[in-house]
Amino acid sequence: MIELEQPVEAGHEMRAEIRRISNRTRARRVATSRVMVLLCAVALTLAAVPLALLIYQLLKNGVPVLNKAFFTTVPSTPTLIAPNATGGVSNAIVGSIALNIYASVLAIPVGVFVGIYLAETESKLATTLRTIAQTMAGAPSILMGLFAFSFVVHDLKIGFSALAGSFALAVLMLPVIILSSEIAVRNVPATLREAGLALGAKPHKVSMRVVLPSALTGIVTGAILALSRAVGETAPVLLVIGGGFTNTWGLLNPVSALPLSIFENAKSPWPSQRAQVWGVALVLVAFIFLVSLTARIWASRKQQVRN
Amino acid sequence: MEQKTMADMQSKTATTESTNRGPIAMQLRDVAVSFHGRTAVRDCSFDVAKNKVTSLIGPSGSGKTTLLRALNRLHDLTPGAKVSGQILLEGVDTYRGDLTVTELRTRVGMVFQRPNPFPTMSIYDNAVSGLRFNGVKKKALLDEAAESSLRSAALWDSVSTRLKVAASNLSGGEQQRLCIARALALDPEVLLMDEPTSALDPIATLRIEELMTSLKSRVTVIIVTHNMQQAARISDDCAFLLMGEDRAGELIEFDTTEKIFNNPIDPRTLDYTLGRFG
Repeated sequence: MIELEQPVEAGHEMRAEIRRISNRTRARRVATSRVMVLLCAVALTLAAVPLALLIYQLLKNGVPVLNKAFFTTVPSTPTLIAPNATGGVSNAIVGSIALNIYASVLAIPVGVFVGIYLAETESKLATTLRTIAQTMAGAPSILMGLFAFSFVVHDLKIGFSALAGSFALAVLMLPVIILSSEIAVRNVPATLREAGLALGAKPHKVSMRVVLPSALTGIVTGAILALSRAVGETAPVLLVIGGGFTNTWGLLNPVSALPLSIFENAKSPWPSQRAQVWGVALVLVAFIFLVSLTARIWASRKQQVRN
Repeated sequence: MEQKTMADMQSKTATTESTNRGPIAMQLRDVAVSFHGRTAVRDCSFDVAKNKVTSLIGPSGSGKTTLLRALNRLHDLTPGAKVSGQILLEGVDTYRGDLTVTELRTRVGMVFQRPNPFPTMSIYDNAVSGLRFNGVKKKALLDEAAESSLRSAALWDSVSTRLKVAASNLSGGEQQRLCIARALALDPEVLLMDEPTSALDPIATLRIEELMTSLKSRVTVIIVTHNMQQAARISDDCAFLLMGEDRAGELIEFDTTEKIFNNPIDPRTLDYTLGRFG
């Protein structure tokens, strides 16, 4: 038996002293708390003002140039007689959608499988792949453009095309998808995997039927975030898609893209073309907003079903 | 030290005696488990009587769960884990015999400490998941197995109208019974239970305990428990493990639950069952 030390009865003076000190401490903490809240409010304002200004500018300048022709016609070059004949940007809208669908088809399956592999094995190859993915995730995006140019456009002699552009975007998306899939799979509780194994399932079956479905929300969210990043990228497609002026879904045709259209038209000597840039930017931002909103709603729904 | 050796001898005698008490489901012969060369549990030799409940008791760190997980080879995928000695299922060596690890696991089912139904599957899909993992696809067969295993787990009446609902909608106790149903669907000979009620409230615990007793006629149960009253209430045989001086768990005594709780050979067993430590 362990003898417990008897608590010493605190004297009256001692208790008064303790109360005084704790009251003083409390007062000081309340004051500190107020200052911190104020600092947070200031920081929030500093962060929110540029963002609000940007959205305001985007709406103010973007909305007026949006009309039916903007979405349905291809660009034309303004002339001195018709300085406002900019045409629309349907080629860039179609091009962007095509590029990102092809890039997703290329990158998502490969990325998800590599991510699962990284999460499920601990080999030297896995460590190497993870390091490469982490490095690639931080690489400047123009690098993907250069790579696609020298490899797809030049070496494979495919030329300026949607294929080259989607290849560049796929390379850009790949590390993001790999790393987010790996995390999603790793976050599946080990007890679920054990439950599967304890039922006599082979390890690969546990991966496909138990782990993968449980990780799906995380995997899809990661893929959509990678996609929404790719949609807005200019640099990877700049050198390789050729800036086509027609609406085409063809893999081997030169295409345009929303970010590229901004890049080109912002340099235009025609004020009408420069004004149109805001409309394109608005469409682009709205598109990214919708994509990530969908991802979030989908993920939270899935989460709710589970809990 | 002297005392321990004596107790070891005596408990070995007890083991031999216990083999005369009816058919044996599993036999453990000098079973030891180590991780990266560090022994976690050792010296475990006892027979698990068929259609009885055998409990593994002992304080934290005594290797109960580690020993239990050796019985369905769950340590196989843990890097650095090594199981030595012999574990026999119906006389067949489970590690070196003809038995494949997947077949072993269908014959020796497991229920875990926390209810872990598959969250992306419905109640029905959970119940038949083991069958599906093992290639059963025929719907009539799955339907029948789902109903009979859910009935065996005393869950059918409360879930029969909502079989397609996600398993995560069930309460903790119901989830644990679903996990029992999931294991029973494969019609195992042995059911390993790793503190199956430690995450449940007293009423849910009672229902699981009643369930175990009713399942005895068709399955041999080996249960790890921290709860001494539970071991006394539900088990027929009892293995007492304790952490040795080198922090490795070892079997101190194995006997009928009645003897372990009323008249144990080793004084440490008595100290533990009386709640003097642990």
